[in-house]
Amino acid sequence: MNAYHRIPRRTVLKGLGTAIALPWLEAMMPRTLRAEVSSSPPTRMAFIYAPNGKNMADWTPARTGTEFDLPAILEPLKEFKDDFSVLSGLTLDKARANGDGPGDHARSLAAFLTCCQPRKTHGADIRAGISVDQIAAQKMGQESKFSSLEIGCDPSAQSGNCDSGYSCAYSSNISWRGESTPQAKEINPRLVFERLFLDPNQQADQTERVRRERYRKSVLDFVAEDAKRLQNKLGVNDQRKLDEYLSSVREIEQRIDRAQNSTPQYEIPDYPKPTGIPKDYQEHIRLMCDMMVLAFQADVTRISTFVLANEGSNKSYRFIDVPEGHHDLSHHGNDEAKKAKIRKINTFHTTQLAYLVGKLKGIREGDGTLLDHCMLVYGSGISDGNRHNHDDLPILLIGRGNGTIRPGRHIQYPKETPLANLYLSMLERIGVQTDKLGDSTGKLLDLDA
Amino acid sequence: MAIHLPPESTRRRSIRARIVAVGLPALCLVTIGWFAFAGSDAPTSNRAEGAPAVPEAAAAPAEAGEDDLYRRDVAPLIAKYCSDCHSERQQRAGLSLTKDASSTAIQRNRKVWESVVSMLRDGVMPPADKPQPTDEELARMTGILEETLANIDCTGGIDPGRVTIRRLNRAEYNNTIRDLVGVDFQPAEDFPSDDVGYGFDNIGDVLSLPPLLFEKYLAAAEKITEAAIITGDRQRGEIVKFEPRRMRRNGQGGDYGNGAVNLYSTAELSVRHSFPKSGEYVLRVRAFGQQAGPEPARMSLRLDGKELQTFDVKAEEGDSQTCEHRLQIEQGRKRVAVAFVNDYYNPKHPDPKARDRNLIVEHVEIQGPIEVVPLPESHRRIITRVPREDGSDADSCTREILRRFVTRAYRRPVTGEELERLVELAAGVRSDGESFERGIQLALQAVLVSPHFLFRIETDREPENPAVVHEISEYELATRLSYFLWSSLPDEELFALADRGELRQGETLARQVRRMLADPKSRALVDNFASQWLQFRNLDQFSPDPKQFPDFDEALRQAMRTETEMFFTTILREDRSILEFLDADYTFVNERLARHYGIADVRGDEFQRVNIDANQRGGILAHGSILAITSNPTRTSPVKRGKWVLDNLLGAPPPPPPPGVEELSDESEAALTGTLRQRMEQHRANPGCASCHRQMDPLGFGLENYDPIGAWRTREGKFPIDSSGTLPSGESFNGPRELRAILIGRKTEFTRCLTEKLLTYALGRGLEYYDRCAVDRIVEAVARNDYHMSALIEGIVASDPFQKRRGKRGDE
Repeated sequence: MNAYHRIPRRTVLKGLGTAIALPWLEAMMPRTLRAEVSSSPPTRMAFIYAPNGKNMADWTPARTGTEFDLPAILEPLKEFKDDFSVLSGLTLDKARANGDGPGDHARSLAAFLTCCQPRKTHGADIRAGISVDQIAAQKMGQESKFSSLEIGCDPSAQSGNCDSGYSCAYSSNISWRGESTPQAKEINPRLVFERLFLDPNQQADQTERVRRERYRKSVLDFVAEDAKRLQNKLGVNDQRKLDEYLSSVREIEQRIDRAQNSTPQYEIPDYPKPTGIPKDYQEHIRLMCDMMVLAFQADVTRISTFVLANEGSNKSYRFIDVPEGHHDLSHHGNDEAKKAKIRKINTFHTTQLAYLVGKLKGIREGDGTLLDHCMLVYGSGISDGNRHNHDDLPILLIGRGNGTIRPGRHIQYPKETPLANLYLSMLERIGVQTDKLGDSTGKLLDLDA
Repeated sequence: MAIHLPPESTRRRSIRARIVAVGLPALCLVTIGWFAFAGSDAPTSNRAEGAPAVPEAAAAPAEAGEDDLYRRDVAPLIAKYCSDCHSERQQRAGLSLTKDASSTAIQRNRKVWESVVSMLRDGVMPPADKPQPTDEELARMTGILEETLANIDCTGGIDPGRVTIRRLNRAEYNNTIRDLVGVDFQPAEDFPSDDVGYGFDNIGDVLSLPPLLFEKYLAAAEKITEAAIITGDRQRGEIVKFEPRRMRRNGQGGDYGNGAVNLYSTAELSVRHSFPKSGEYVLRVRAFGQQAGPEPARMSLRLDGKELQTFDVKAEEGDSQTCEHRLQIEQGRKRVAVAFVNDYYNPKHPDPKARDRNLIVEHVEIQGPIEVVPLPESHRRIITRVPREDGSDADSCTREILRRFVTRAYRRPVTGEELERLVELAAGVRSDGESFERGIQLALQAVLVSPHFLFRIETDREPENPAVVHEISEYELATRLSYFLWSSLPDEELFALADRGELRQGETLARQVRRMLADPKSRALVDNFASQWLQFRNLDQFSPDPKQFPDFDEALRQAMRTETEMFFTTILREDRSILEFLDADYTFVNERLARHYGIADVRGDEFQRVNIDANQRGGILAHGSILAITSNPTRTSPVKRGKWVLDNLLGAPPPPPPPGVEELSDESEAALTGTLRQRMEQHRANPGCASCHRQMDPLGFGLENYDPIGAWRTREGKFPIDSSGTLPSGESFNGPRELRAILIGRKTEFTRCLTEKLLTYALGRGLEYYDRCAVDRIVEAVARNDYHMSALIEGIVASDPFQKRRGKRGDE
């Protein structure tokens, strides 16, 4: 049974909310679920990041509770008002200087999911902390082909200094597998599609495919042995690099094992293979959204991060009549015209978010929709781009987390509530019991209230 | 006093900048203070003791006497403002600041004191509720501390530092595969981009290896070896297929489904086919028999009525047999026929299935003319020997092939143990019944994802002992050299020199450097160094507002890049003076760019060297590429341009704006008019901003005659352009030409800046305080050699940090 033919591509691509409802039948479930067929579909988790803060006056609803209003930037999400909550008052303290001076942009992205103070360095000894998506991936990653999926729209900076003495690794990586190991993101939708769905071995017949996988494993065993032998001969910094290497080798090994233990193989979704990075930014974002949706739908991964633009991005948004650079504009100095332009950019991003949410909601799964089984966080590690403050962040929590979250509210948290507390609560919902993540002080108690 | 462009004599200037950059952000205010001291009697290295062992030698002991500036001018302030919490008695945060009583002690305890400077500069310490030092006191403390930390004695041994193992970045991977395997298909195009540190994407500490990348390495290794080595059938020829049902039948027969025909008596199927040219063809028939009687069904293959071959078709339904005949056929139209020649019918046989012999023809095809695909060059280069038919010497062939390949891939001789493990891997493949070549493929895949290939590894005898400084091996040196100049592995000549241990003999290194620079592969320095030093890699991201700049298009973008690339290449290849980067009387344009610059009489897409009007152009500061990447999409940014000059030409990066202070970059939508200047004056009234902007802004103003896409202008809208300025040093200029003249006067700072950038790139690590000694020597050598580019490159290659390494220090 081809998992992708369950729901024709047209349904995915069609306008929001027009999907054909299909019953959640065993035969239509992704293979990994068949064993646990009585349970509901798995919970998926994603974090979507937009840089340079927001024009908060046009973001924060005036009223709290279920009767909250939608300021301009949230207006595009109107249709999904019952599917998300606005969480106000959360703080990312580790994006603050805390004695390290300037560099808010680099810190904001590197700390957003790690909630740890990124070490200020141009390169030697970079360190941020392990990000919440990777903690989740360690727990849930084994259930699907890819433990996590990192996507974005900007490559890492190509040269120069990214932000005030911080290596560019900080301002372009949100996901950190190890304290010093950022997870590079894929920005080309073609490559994401090929990676997720097109195994080059797929063409080969069964015998050849099995043989190739066996050969791959023997190569991996071989080089892991190389690395282990080498490790004793090197200094500590070098050993750390080899640890990264070995950890990656193991991840690929496990992936091959998982693939071997499961038949049938994933089939290619009924979706036109993307040809590359579109020139048009909106189209680029939407293709990447589609990739995330396809990946979740087929259950090839359950965890994802998506960086809409690198932190500090100075991208021009002339296609919405904002030719200036985003970062330059974000230092608006309370100039009303500039603030209006920032609002336009912020609204552009939430419009793309609405596209993603609509896609997820348009896919029936089990007794509900794919969106019901998701927990998405959308936000930025900077609140007001002009002030560079890191309290009262713009954060949305979207989806029902498989019945563990009650969306449709504006919740005002006490000042200085760590953003990490939200993550602890999310981890709890996928069965990761942990008391501490970065600067967390506890869990957010009222998400399901 | 405000010397914002550092004076010639300030040799420690850029190290000061480094301290700032390394993580000690500063209030601009304090910078003034530092310069105030820079001009005064800075501590000198009047060493009285014998040279201690490296690396301690790096710290110049200042006598802890009357002339110890720290003791005299700073210690009392530390006692006054810090010792309440940070003394031997009261060690808040585990920190005592009264223990280190002299400049020497400060230098020994460097990490702590660098952090102290940072805290003071940022105003983090002393805490707001404690007594605060005056501005003058603060400036004195930070100034002298910085000066003390930057004061390194270079007369002893030089600390070469150590480089973390470096993963090949994308460019290096592509080039290495090209030169190692001989396939040039840019496999790294699909790899995730490499992160940048210290301005470059080849920094060992920053290059990480997440699973995504490893996965790509594995896939690339498979693709590369499969493209490089041919394992299967190399015969190719067009195939024309015929359905038996549609062939002409002569005799009895009937449809058998799926286009097949059952010949149930002696009969022939034929077709007329035009053979396109003379050559070798294969005639192929798939068939099976319904067997009966004493012999199997027999099938005859005929060409123009002449029998070619008769086949025994023993196969039965479900397991058909393919019969083929290969022969030379002349061009032209011929009749190809398949015939059933031994019909048998015995209705009396007790087994009804054994009564009737028939031939079922399923499929007929003609392939040709057959050509044997020649082995690719890469195959012949790698598979230098093939085993005997019986395979008895397969292991020794494998060994021979791999010894050569792996030694190059690992950039050092392969060890016997490594080789045997690989031979075993290949043998395992053959034991599956796979070909010899496929075994080699798999072994090579293992090599291409091995850490020995993906990382450039340098070993120490004592990796944890910082006192042991040693020359890197000649293989390691050849590797550093080739990745520095070529972004690729050493070629045969370099490798042979290392093999014989002759690389360091006499003039060999200098000769090799010159040879390598003359090789087209040195283009890597332009692609990977120049594009990152000058940052024109970012040109791809530059997108000016098309409404304001309808002229800007891809052709212009590309032309701008080419100009800067050719300019750099020329200085490199012609071994010109590096000062031409600051000012030159020539540049490179094609028609498109010439029109953009207002240069007459250049036709066509080809680039040509032209002499230029010195009033308008000269040096890279007049290159469209540089002017564009330092502009905003809608207008110029004098601040960004000024900062670019300080960062990349003068090595004096201004500190980042202090938190909470709005950046000036978007000071106004308006043209650069008096109004703007007035606004900037207001901005400068804030002392937290003034000192830095007084450095940056005038440099940018001097470039105001260039619009955001680098075209010359004298007016903007209704306002005339004012490109005059006064530097903090008091020097004034009017227009870019006079500004360039001032920059030429800063040639030592420029040389130092370029040296630091190129050394960072060559080593793949950030420079540390102790590298000042090596940098000093290179800068002096370049000046002695009339600023020739070769002197710079040779100076780097000959330097201690390039030639040596040491064990790791605890605090690194």
